[in-house]
Amino acid sequence: MHEYSLAFSLFEALRARLAGDPPAGKVKLVHVRQGELLSLSHEALKEAWRIITEGTELSGSELSIELVPVRVRCPRCGFEGNARYIGEGDRHFRIPVLSCPECGARVEVVEGRDLAIVALTVEEEGGRGG
Amino acid sequence: MHEINLGYEDILRKQLELAGKNYELLSSRGIRAFNVMGAIGSGKTSLILKLAEALRERGLRVGAIAGDVAGDDDYRRFIEAGIPAVNINTRDQCHLDAHLVEHALEGLPLDKLDVLFIENVGNLVCPADFPLGTEMEIVVVSVTEGEDMVRKHPKIFAQTDVLVVNKVDLALTVGVDPKRIVADYGKINPHGKAILASAKSGRGIGEILSALGF
Repeated sequence: MHEYSLAFSLFEALRARLAGDPPAGKVKLVHVRQGELLSLSHEALKEAWRIITEGTELSGSELSIELVPVRVRCPRCGFEGNARYIGEGDRHFRIPVLSCPECGARVEVVEGRDLAIVALTVEEEGGRGG
Repeated sequence: MHEINLGYEDILRKQLELAGKNYELLSSRGIRAFNVMGAIGSGKTSLILKLAEALRERGLRVGAIAGDVAGDDDYRRFIEAGIPAVNINTRDQCHLDAHLVEHALEGLPLDKLDVLFIENVGNLVCPADFPLGTEMEIVVVSVTEGEDMVRKHPKIFAQTDVLVVNKVDLALTVGVDPKRIVADYGKINPHGKAILASAKSGRGIGEILSALGF
């Protein structure tokens, strides 16, 4: 339900970032990394992005969302690595288990709750570029 | 086409930092805080009232934050029970966040509290994504919601420390086997503690308190 506000936060962060150093061309793709613990509808996030960017220099750009597996650290045995998942299929049916794969203790999440813009794909002005 | 690398700026980092700030403030005052989540009508408020009663019998001072989209019904129940409380109306926001809690803490007599229950907005999706700065997270599910609640909302159950299966006194009437809910929870959350309870009769209250470390 908070896709719109998160899309707006992404938009504000990107605009602030590009304010002093605008890209030479039209932004086509905005590459986003999303931790797999976050419950986000990609359809809703992309639609929110389309609406928010309308009439701005980012109009016409699309979000490309890459999922980041959950990484955990165990305070008991020191294990650090990817969380164990249960279930199969797409991300809605694969659930990260927040217990240590080695010793079963509750783990801390090192990575998996974040949402970040990492890169842009830009089309050069006056051509399709290469 | 060319790519521009932008590094890595997590837009949710601010939420985590605020939650960390809340945690620091609460622990510096010696307050143990718990984030109580669960669906609308699962019995979060009744459960907190029962837990508070038991904690007060042990000489501990309990406060509460009531989070709801609108209204002050839960807040008034806390006040009537003599529990210092702050009401948060999120308006249309479907979850509490660390920023809302930070402000709510300003309205509580922190010097006079040992335990704080933060009752989240009734919702099993979004609250999981917004840490508040509490020591533990509790999720309440009642048997009247059906046997399949954990399977339908796995993420929130995977992330919580304690599961309270509430209204077990109604299990037979509604034809739900609470053990099935507990078994589903054990699969996705091996370290979590599941407790069968009834906020009405008081069943399970002692067990919940031990799971919370009291």
